[in-house]
Amino acid sequence: MKRAGPSVSSLTARSEHHPLQVFERDLLALVPRLRRFARSLARDAADADDLVQASLERALKARDQWTPGTRLDAWMMRIVRNNWIDEARARARRGRTFVEEEAGASISSDAHNDIERRAELRDVDRAMAALPDEQREVIALVLVEGFAYREAADMLDIPIGTLTSRLTRGRQALVRMLEAA
Amino acid sequence: MTVDTTMLHAYLDGELDTDAAREVEAAIANDAVLRTECAAQRRLRDRLNAHFDPALDEPVPAPLQALLETKVVDLAAARKRLRPRLWLMPVAMAASLVFGIALGQVLPAGGEFGTSDGALVARGPLAEALDTQLASAQPDDAATRIGVSFARVDGTLCRTFVSSTASGLACQEAGNWRMIATAAASAIPRSDFRRAGTEAPMVLQAAQDMMAGEPFDAAAERRARDAGWRGRR
Repeated sequence: MKRAGPSVSSLTARSEHHPLQVFERDLLALVPRLRRFARSLARDAADADDLVQASLERALKARDQWTPGTRLDAWMMRIVRNNWIDEARARARRGRTFVEEEAGASISSDAHNDIERRAELRDVDRAMAALPDEQREVIALVLVEGFAYREAADMLDIPIGTLTSRLTRGRQALVRMLEAA
Repeated sequence: MTVDTTMLHAYLDGELDTDAAREVEAAIANDAVLRTECAAQRRLRDRLNAHFDPALDEPVPAPLQALLETKVVDLAAARKRLRPRLWLMPVAMAASLVFGIALGQVLPAGGEFGTSDGALVARGPLAEALDTQLASAQPDDAATRIGVSFARVDGTLCRTFVSSTASGLACQEAGNWRMIATAAASAIPRSDFRRAGTEAPMVLQAAQDMMAGEPFDAAAERRARDAGWRGRR
């Protein structure tokens, strides 16, 4: 990621508050977006919150690597994404598999009026989970989080052409899966 | 002009300039396949937003909130952990303390501070003191007093200082001493036994927060100076 040095004005802006409180406060304000981003990456909401928590812990330890005056959201999303990659690799090594489909099929009497909405929700989650990781992360950054191509490519350390081709393949796959029914 | 799928997507994502966007719109008007893809992509985005955006309105879970708030509360405890002998800190919290003040407006040009790549860096006598002066061997009437030297997590080296105009924390970056925290001299509590006063509490706090391990002792400080403050990186 590119890093710009802080301008004098950004230092001035920090003068009104304690610097540490500002950092934590800004992170706290980002939590809803981090949770949304994590949910578009992780298997389910619980995993997503674990991912956000681990990422915040990492950010607090690495705070002096953030350059004041640069975008904290992009810095933080990058940490979330890297944590997710690490976790996905660890999970692959443990050989865990996805069993949500079977679990979903067992829902019976108590959830009938709810089942259509839940199926809809699962469809999006399942379609996202079916994407290769490198397509899912660009979908998450650009379509869910609304980052510009340049910003997303910088966060992933990939050329912009690679980003757009993954994005196109990912969104075509999602349309196929979600509109097949 | 032919509009391929990637270009259509770039248009939908707002990535095209005005001229290119007009061309894509003209192509869409004349091409049923592009219109179909355009509609499918709009449905996809709507569906993703409907699915994921509700997360934005949910309250922050208590464990995540606690993680960040604990850090704020811990500051008072962290301040007490400062090693008194090394830091020599009569920390009267000055109500008028200014952190990261716009030094360019307050301090004389051509003096102790300059800019490099938009960052505030030490110049002149301050840069020289940071480069050469050892806290363990400095005269009591030194114009600039060096406080503590230490390594950051990433291996770069930092030092605190008190000059006649300011106190601050500076770290090595590309051969410069870049200012991480600064406070104007008027905000620094004066000390009876140190002519040059001590670092402002905020400066010490910033140093404490960045420090990986212990501050340097006299031998480590000398080694770091003799190695040109290059650190591990």
